[in-house]
Amino acid sequence: MKWLLLGAIALYLFGGHKRPLFCAALATELAYLALRGSALGRLPLIGPHDTLVFFSASIALMALPFCFSPILRDSGRFSWGTGFLAGLFALLALPFPSFNMPLPPILRTFWFELHVALAFFGYALFGIGALLGAMFLSGRERSTLDLQYRAALVGYSFFSASMVSGGIWGYYAWGTYWLWTPKELWTSILWLFYSLWLHLRLKGTGWDRAVAWGGIIGFAVTLFTYLGVSMLMKSSHSF
Amino acid sequence: MFRSIYDRLASLTFGLWLIGGVLVLLAVGSFAGGGEGEGNINNMALFRWLMETPVAVSWWLWATIALLALLALNTVLCSVESLRIKYQRGNFLVLIAPQVIHLGFLLIVLAHLFSAWGGYKQVMAVPVGGVIGFPDGSRVQVGNIAATMSPMGFPTEFSAEVRYLGDGGEGVKTIRPNEPFFYQGVGLYLKEVALEPYRAALIEIHQEPGAGVALVGALLFTIGNVVLLAVRRGK
Repeated sequence: MKWLLLGAIALYLFGGHKRPLFCAALATELAYLALRGSALGRLPLIGPHDTLVFFSASIALMALPFCFSPILRDSGRFSWGTGFLAGLFALLALPFPSFNMPLPPILRTFWFELHVALAFFGYALFGIGALLGAMFLSGRERSTLDLQYRAALVGYSFFSASMVSGGIWGYYAWGTYWLWTPKELWTSILWLFYSLWLHLRLKGTGWDRAVAWGGIIGFAVTLFTYLGVSMLMKSSHSF
Repeated sequence: MFRSIYDRLASLTFGLWLIGGVLVLLAVGSFAGGGEGEGNINNMALFRWLMETPVAVSWWLWATIALLALLALNTVLCSVESLRIKYQRGNFLVLIAPQVIHLGFLLIVLAHLFSAWGGYKQVMAVPVGGVIGFPDGSRVQVGNIAATMSPMGFPTEFSAEVRYLGDGGEGVKTIRPNEPFFYQGVGLYLKEVALEPYRAALIEIHQEPGAGVALVGALLFTIGNVVLLAVRRGK
């Protein structure tokens, strides 16, 4: 099955600048996830391997509408950039062993799957927002900044919905919708960061560069929340 | 002078600084273990933990609460100002959606306050036939405990029957992970079971007074967010 993932990585990294190849890479990666999901009997969302592949597929999936938007339709840079991001995270998944054991009972609930899937859709859109911010900083086209706003706003909505579903799951699983753990603190930091970022935009066009940089910094916070906290900090809540 | 203070409190810039301050304090707190390692912050109501914990450890949380209080005030004033200035001009949904989001946020903050004040948690190991008593004299008795073990020796499924006996009648429920039993305003959560040397259930009793308000806040936040997405579509 891993050859499917290797094929997707190659297509992302070497053909990402061409939309048909980008779509083929996404289809291949989704096929890999579907086969893994069917073998496991659940969404593959546990452990670094599965979450990195899911994150990679989410980036490509969320990037699709942007690839076909009138502003970016002719831009190879955007699809190359998202292809690179998706390929990079899929590549990072390879060294990690896949988790094939049955899920602990506490994770066997619809709320858990919804919580994690929505979080990755949000993370993916924050990554796309960062890419669009970088494109604005290099090309100064205001339309890319508007697209960055759309990506981050939709990402923020997914992420907020993920926090809500996580709170509902937490209440049924642990009796509380909030626990004081580094992971939850960083989740709140990420959510507050994008709240700040969305409000920063209200300051006007004089803040365009700061807004573009904010989208890039936001993705760094996203990566720390996702990978940094799980790998570097001691938390009862990880991956 | 009052006008100047009001304007400052209601300003967007002040709100941005407050959010930035909360961000930094939470980040500092996360490197201090997020309270997880400090006297079991998750095992008691937050305000009780704050009272029992030295300020040298909990200062970041006190400072966060202070900034959140100011942020809540700033949110209310910003919403009032926005409604006052933009009322009767523009699209109603464009005007109201951010305020619904703000209201959702404020309710979530309020919910945390309720839980921080009146939250309660207790863990107990109860053998089959053991009884959990409630202040009004009603009781919950643990019945049959079942578990399915994986070949590697960890439980893949487990459950416990609980029989409630009180003036309001009696009945039997089965609790398992993610399926607690709510009784007398508290939730009974099955955390683990032991089959040997005798069958027993590890039950956590939780009272989370802010849960309902948090849910209403979260729903309002989500509705406001979806409406905002819809009205901003294509813009």
